[in-house]
Amino acid sequence: MAKLEASDTVVLGISIDSPAANAAFAKQIGVTFPLLSDMNKEVLTSYQILKPYDVKGGKYQWAQRTTIVVDKEGKIQHVEQGDSAVNPNSAVSICTGLHKPKGPG
Amino acid sequence: MKRIVWLLLLILAGHFPVAAQEDAVAKTNLKVGDVAPDFSLLSDKWEQVKLSDFRGKKNVILAFYVLAFTGG
Repeated sequence: MAKLEASDTVVLGISIDSPAANAAFAKQIGVTFPLLSDMNKEVLTSYQILKPYDVKGGKYQWAQRTTIVVDKEGKIQHVEQGDSAVNPNSAVSICTGLHKPKGPG
Repeated sequence: MKRIVWLLLLILAGHFPVAAQEDAVAKTNLKVGDVAPDFSLLSDKWEQVKLSDFRGKKNVILAFYVLAFTGG
């Protein structure tokens, strides 16, 4: 996290959980960044990452595990989906790279 | 010929519906260089957090997870 703060980066966790569930989750795992509630699935829909899950015969639509890096201009710099998106290292290294001063030209 | 191969694949896929479902990734069409769709959501502290509030100030890592408390 220190590496990220140094690179002018914030992390936002997003799921369909309620703010109350996210507050308890944040406390349990000790995260300091915001966990956001997409209870209407609006963001998951606009980012096209709603995934169907079957749980004991019930059908649900929750998030596909995804990491997206957005730069200061609001543009997407990196998209990672699936199990590899659990590991934040590549997203972190990209943000560290974004912070580096650009060379001439 | 191509059609027959596709047909065979479709038939085969029908035989393994469970495996196909588990492997399916809800693939986003968003790609590098696109403007990230803006949003405003309630945080765990019941505050509205808006993506565009960070514009010009911070890079943002959006970490979408399946459900709280599930290790995902």
